[in-house]
Amino acid sequence: MRARFGSALRCLACAGLAVALVGACPVAAALTTAIDDSGTVVLSPSVPMRWQTLSPRRTTSELMTGSTTVQVRLNVMPWLRRSGRIYLVLPAQQPGAIHASWSTQGRLLPGAVSSGGRTLVYAGPISVPFVVDVLQLAISVDGRQMHQGYDLNFRFEMDAN
Amino acid sequence: MPMTRRIWSTLVLAAGPMAAWAFTVAIAPASPQEVYLQVGVGGFVGNYNVGGTPGANATINKASVSVAASAVGNGTAQAMTTDSSIGASPYDGYIYCSTPAQMYIGGFYRKTTAGSNTATVTATVPASLVNASGDQIPFSRISWTTGGNGDNGGEPFPAGTFVGGGVQTVGSMAQNQWAESCWTFRYANTTLPPQGTYTGRVLYTLSAP
Repeated sequence: MRARFGSALRCLACAGLAVALVGACPVAAALTTAIDDSGTVVLSPSVPMRWQTLSPRRTTSELMTGSTTVQVRLNVMPWLRRSGRIYLVLPAQQPGAIHASWSTQGRLLPGAVSSGGRTLVYAGPISVPFVVDVLQLAISVDGRQMHQGYDLNFRFEMDAN
Repeated sequence: MPMTRRIWSTLVLAAGPMAAWAFTVAIAPASPQEVYLQVGVGGFVGNYNVGGTPGANATINKASVSVAASAVGNGTAQAMTTDSSIGASPYDGYIYCSTPAQMYIGGFYRKTTAGSNTATVTATVPASLVNASGDQIPFSRISWTTGGNGDNGGEPFPAGTFVGGGVQTVGSMAQNQWAESCWTFRYANTTLPPQGTYTGRVLYTLSAP
């Protein structure tokens, strides 16, 4: 009885070790990991969304748009001296269909993403512990869904080689 | 046993941050609902398509005609002209109406709800135009045609005839649509009223759900 108990403990230890290895090794092939962006700051984090211009004579325009600046600081120390691909992720969330586009100062790639998707912003060697850039972020949503205010969540992910 | 505890500690440290990182942008509608109506001279500052903003304008424009004594009541409709100098659309500055023959009417209706709501424009019309002696000409003697430069298709503010002494619908705006037309008024000239200057005021109202 005691022996079986000891065996179960060892199995648990083995299983725990296996999971721990996966979790602690973000550079494993095709592994996607959220990047520590706790140093990222959104300037003017409350964005007023304004109606995009209408087209006269019967064409409708139902988009609302807004923009802000994001000072990005990504902690990529776990992948230092390795290669990887960094993505900006816009998870599916309220108020529904969301589109974001951005320009950068050159460290990251400019691009665009729709809700539920992600877009590559960097690919190559990770040679510094922090990736820093400034994004001019433009957001557009269907104005008919903007019944109230919403918090949009973005994150960065690393696909390490 | 001590080894087992150490492994679980590693698990927590490795797995904890993976789902936590994110930055948040709060969005909120600056103006959930907007309506604007302009009849004749309006209050737009700049054109809408380049960031212009609507404002109020208290001007009351006039459509008028002087009928020659020899022509009064001869059944030939008399074209009226307006004192509105606005021919350009406040949307983009396009010369849409031909002044003084035409009067601009237009605006927009914005709302942050799904659906196909419609804003309605009504005219509150007195029974008659009246001169200084109290003589009257029924408002129903005045009608209008519609259409601006470059138009094709139907008009949001169609042609019509005033119905004296009531409120009548003269046009509509679909949700999230800019709507505009140019009106050309005319006097039917089918009766022989006493000489004088006859006036009356029509009030246009935009109502949005």
